[in-house]
Amino acid sequence: MKTLINIENLAVELQSKVILSQVDLSLAKGEILGLVGASGCGKTTLLNTLAGFIGQSAGSIEINITNNQQIKITLEDMLPAEQRNIGMIFQDYALFPHLSVQENICFGLKKLTKVEREKRCAKLLTLLELSEFAKRYPHQLSGGQQQRVAIARALAPQPSLLLLDEPFSNIDARLRNELMIEIRQLLKRLGMTAIFVTHNKDEVFTFADKIAVMHQGQVLQIGPPAQVCQQPNSWQVADFLQLGSWLPVTLPVDGNHAVITSLIGQIESSAIVNTLSDNKCDALLNYQLLVKPSDIALCQQQASNVIIEHIGVTEQGYHYLLSSIEQNSALAFSQLSFYSQELFVLGAKLAIKLQGEHFHLYQAS
Amino acid sequence: MAPIVVMLVASLNASSELFSHLWATVLPDYIYNTLVLGLLVALLSLCFGVPAAAIISQTDIVMGKQLRWLLMLPLAMPAYLVAYLYTDLFDYAGPVQRVLRTWFDWQSPHDYYFFDIRTIGGAAIVIALVLFPYVYLLTRIAFEQQDRNLLRASRLLGCTQRQSFYQLSLPLARPAIAVSLALVTMETLADFATVQYFAVNTLTTAIYDTWLGYGDFAAANALASVLMLFILFVVVAEQRARAGQRHQSSRPNTEHQRKQLSVVQQIIASIFCWFLVFAGFLLPVILLLVMAIDYADYPQFITLLATGKNSIVIAIYSATVATLIALTLALFQRLHQSRGRMIPVQISGFGYAIPGTVLAMAMLATFGPLDHVINDVAKALGFSAPGLILSGSLFAIIFAFVVRFSAIANGTINAGISQIPKSLDLAPASLGVKTWTAIFRVHLPLLKSSILVAWLLVFVEAMKELPAVLLLRPFNFETLSTQIYQLISDERLEQGALGAILIVLFGLLPIIFLNRQKDSK
Amino acid sequence: MLNKIWFLALVFIALLGASVNVIASDEVNVYSYRQPFLVKPLFDEFTKATGINVNVVFAKKGMAERLSREGEYSPADILLTTDISRLIELKDQDLLQPAQSAELTAAIPAQFKAADDTWYALTTRVRNIYSAKRLGKIDFNYEDLADEKYQGKICTRSGKHPYNVALVASMIAAHGEAYTLTWLEKVKANLVRKPQGSDRAQVQAIHQNLCDVSLGNSYYFGNMLKDEQQKVWADAVYINFPNQSNRGAHVNISGMAMAKYAPNKAHALALMNFLVSAPAQKMYAETNMEYPVRPGVQPSKLVASWGEFKTDDLSLETIAKQRRAALILLDKAQFDL
Repeated sequence: MKTLINIENLAVELQSKVILSQVDLSLAKGEILGLVGASGCGKTTLLNTLAGFIGQSAGSIEINITNNQQIKITLEDMLPAEQRNIGMIFQDYALFPHLSVQENICFGLKKLTKVEREKRCAKLLTLLELSEFAKRYPHQLSGGQQQRVAIARALAPQPSLLLLDEPFSNIDARLRNELMIEIRQLLKRLGMTAIFVTHNKDEVFTFADKIAVMHQGQVLQIGPPAQVCQQPNSWQVADFLQLGSWLPVTLPVDGNHAVITSLIGQIESSAIVNTLSDNKCDALLNYQLLVKPSDIALCQQQASNVIIEHIGVTEQGYHYLLSSIEQNSALAFSQLSFYSQELFVLGAKLAIKLQGEHFHLYQAS
Repeated sequence: MAPIVVMLVASLNASSELFSHLWATVLPDYIYNTLVLGLLVALLSLCFGVPAAAIISQTDIVMGKQLRWLLMLPLAMPAYLVAYLYTDLFDYAGPVQRVLRTWFDWQSPHDYYFFDIRTIGGAAIVIALVLFPYVYLLTRIAFEQQDRNLLRASRLLGCTQRQSFYQLSLPLARPAIAVSLALVTMETLADFATVQYFAVNTLTTAIYDTWLGYGDFAAANALASVLMLFILFVVVAEQRARAGQRHQSSRPNTEHQRKQLSVVQQIIASIFCWFLVFAGFLLPVILLLVMAIDYADYPQFITLLATGKNSIVIAIYSATVATLIALTLALFQRLHQSRGRMIPVQISGFGYAIPGTVLAMAMLATFGPLDHVINDVAKALGFSAPGLILSGSLFAIIFAFVVRFSAIANGTINAGISQIPKSLDLAPASLGVKTWTAIFRVHLPLLKSSILVAWLLVFVEAMKELPAVLLLRPFNFETLSTQIYQLISDERLEQGALGAILIVLFGLLPIIFLNRQKDSK
Repeated sequence: MLNKIWFLALVFIALLGASVNVIASDEVNVYSYRQPFLVKPLFDEFTKATGINVNVVFAKKGMAERLSREGEYSPADILLTTDISRLIELKDQDLLQPAQSAELTAAIPAQFKAADDTWYALTTRVRNIYSAKRLGKIDFNYEDLADEKYQGKICTRSGKHPYNVALVASMIAAHGEAYTLTWLEKVKANLVRKPQGSDRAQVQAIHQNLCDVSLGNSYYFGNMLKDEQQKVWADAVYINFPNQSNRGAHVNISGMAMAKYAPNKAHALALMNFLVSAPAQKMYAETNMEYPVRPGVQPSKLVASWGEFKTDDLSLETIAKQRRAALILLDKAQFDL
């Protein structure tokens, strides 16, 4: 597939503060990328930089509009936003309150003839099932309808790339999933390339083909959601995606036959599937083991080592949050997730042990 | 801006001898009077405006709907006019005291007590009566725009309606109150004509004395700079207050439950509100009407049309230019994210605080030399000298008005622009539309009503403004305000009553418009 | 939106248009401290006689400043003032030029014009003392106003008003600064209320029994007598010409001068000649209830009925010279506070 957008070594500084650095991203035509990360990580800044609302301080952006038409945005040639052929859907939709739905959609079509304009507008109205609202004003529409107008408006000038800033945050939770699927199907049908920003990882799994996890202005990992979930490349990625609980461990000083020790048992270092960024296993550093609920089992034989802090009910059974009884140790933990069909009482003391075969080990930040 | 610089530079030449003389004799009293007057007017406007705003926005007072806009009417009255009417009315020789003397058969002032209208207190009351609507208007809007959920929350937390008003509504409205008080104080400090009728000597008196009496323009400028310092203080105070204004909510305003007043409360509240309407608007208008009916005749009406036309022409020019500048500044500030972008707006606000005559002088000092340069250049190039095309024409008047009233236009337009979500600035570009086009297709249509309000407010102020026109106008050029002023200074207001009514009628325009706009929302 | 832009463009064109047609021929431009309605009839006569149009701009404040700022490009030809000090101020700032003609020399006595012919008086007005009829006829001196017997009985307008400043200047010329300051302080102590209002308002106050004595210019008496409502006020007082047994009553003038850079010099001179002509003098004095300066021209019957009086023959320039001192004394005495 052909690359539609290629971002190289992009950096942004605002008021001499580094907001983005060393961002490399590339997307094929028709791909949908979900940009996630904690608030303040720079994901909205990245969108605004792509759109042209913020100037980059280093790096370049290339967009292949068609096979033989390409625009390149560099430090020397910062194309103004209106010439980038990029559409955007704003978090608050930014519909023009003084214009009707139809006029909103036609806003970016002034270069077309009247007939063409009306034709395209009618097509979009049909596509997004807005025909009956064409003459209404934004404040007369529901949140979901407003969003569809925003999408229709952004699609009207036929942008090569669509940016969506937290597009679903204002939508009723029950409708959200349905709407996401509907819009995803629409974008796929149009072959539209899109980047959307969210802080909700579930949205990414439903909506995106690819996920990019951002942290402190950098893209930590990018790839298909399943791959990223199975192979998180850093503590931050695993933590943000909430792939499991964190269990503090110590590493052996002597590298070869070492065992990795925690308050709930030991595992062989060979069970670690990922490679640490620096191979020097420094005992002074703070290492944490990514533990999935399925990696923990009750074991009656030994003395109790954890206490139940919280009990939740799920469809699969009870969800317990456990903390270590021993709290003075450097290895003390809390909020370890554990599922069981059995009902315990709050404050009950249990004995658990590690039982999995493959683990991820990270240096905590 | 330039006129202010010229003024400051000119003040550097001030003679210290005159200053020390003034300082040793009257200046301390003038400054004391200025401060007391400013404080009193602020305090009184507060006492008039805030309760009125609370009553209208929070209670079920009878005829609340009408009072809502009636209370704004005093804004339409030029302060100097009301001052003249009231000093005339309550003077010892005025009709009120005359009637009292006839009724009770008093012979001399020693027989009875009657308050002296020509005191700082009297001046403060009358000025406050005309200016309190600023406080009322801004405070009422603040009350009405307060997030209802905050009030509901406070009720659930155990506050009575009264408690939640004092503990929540009032503190939340504080920024709005501060802003309006700053406006009121600025206008009071810069006033000359009004205090003159009250024989109250303030810093502006000193400015006129040094300039016209001692003929010392430099010292006058220095004093004007001192006055500006006071104003600066007010402006800074206002801006600090505004910084806390963030907790205003723009949540849709559902009709809330109004406080039911008991009969006694109802009567007191009604008397309070109607008193303000009566004293600030109805009574002066009635006085004017009576005069107009007694004295008006047809030829007078014809001259009135001519002068009225002049007034309207310069008011239209000034309003248009001031609005355009305010619009440009506001859009620049909004769309251009540079660090110094706030500065032009802040500085332009000062103009409001400069007394009209001082400003006129500054205009002459600025454009006079400029005119000379133009003429010299024209002559050097072999053309005939074009004359005083800047300082000797309407240009100077309009420029002065723009300087003086840009604060009003700026405030209104900025308020309007801050209502536009930031994302609407970006959306057009994402649709491939240029910033310029976006301004015309998005910002201007959205700002339409703000622009109109700004235009109307400046228009009305320009209709009322007097000293600057008086000094800067070209030959044979009369406006309604200069005509009225001449008649007033000759104690023949009767013959200008019709013109005064015309000014008041024009002053009603923006109020009616503001009111209609509010209703249609 | 495009319409709006066109509209604005038109506005600015109109603006420029309004600015340009300031100077034209067959005109004479007057900067006036006098109210237009007082001089308009005269100018109309002038235009009728000569075909020269008269343009007037009136302002009480800042006229000299405007003139000096305009400098050589000022359109002003003639200046009309209501106070000698203004004329001297203009002269001191070198904003006037001498004007000479046979008519002027013949019409205006030497004491009513500048030695260098830069200004000419048109009319004189007396600073009178008005007293309540209930006090009976009294011969006043200005000095008497400081007498303790008038404690709480005197009204006046602001001491800073040019008419009062000129009076104080004449007191300084007659008695020196120290005496005048004491006089001012004593007069101040005698005031029933702080200085306020106009000269007429003081007469009204006498009518209303608020006070018994006030200062006021002569022509106001005539104006009040002619006004239906104000006649009762004037009827309550006598108009007194002070200091008749010594130096005479203080007089001030209304005057005219030719601007230094007058663009229409010939027309300006024609207007000046016209203003001192016997019919114009008669008319000017009649409408304003003042005393014409031209010998042989009689004031109006009403004004003449107030009787002959002796005027202080102190030179007008001396009064103007003491003006600053007068202001300083007024400040020192805190007269207006």
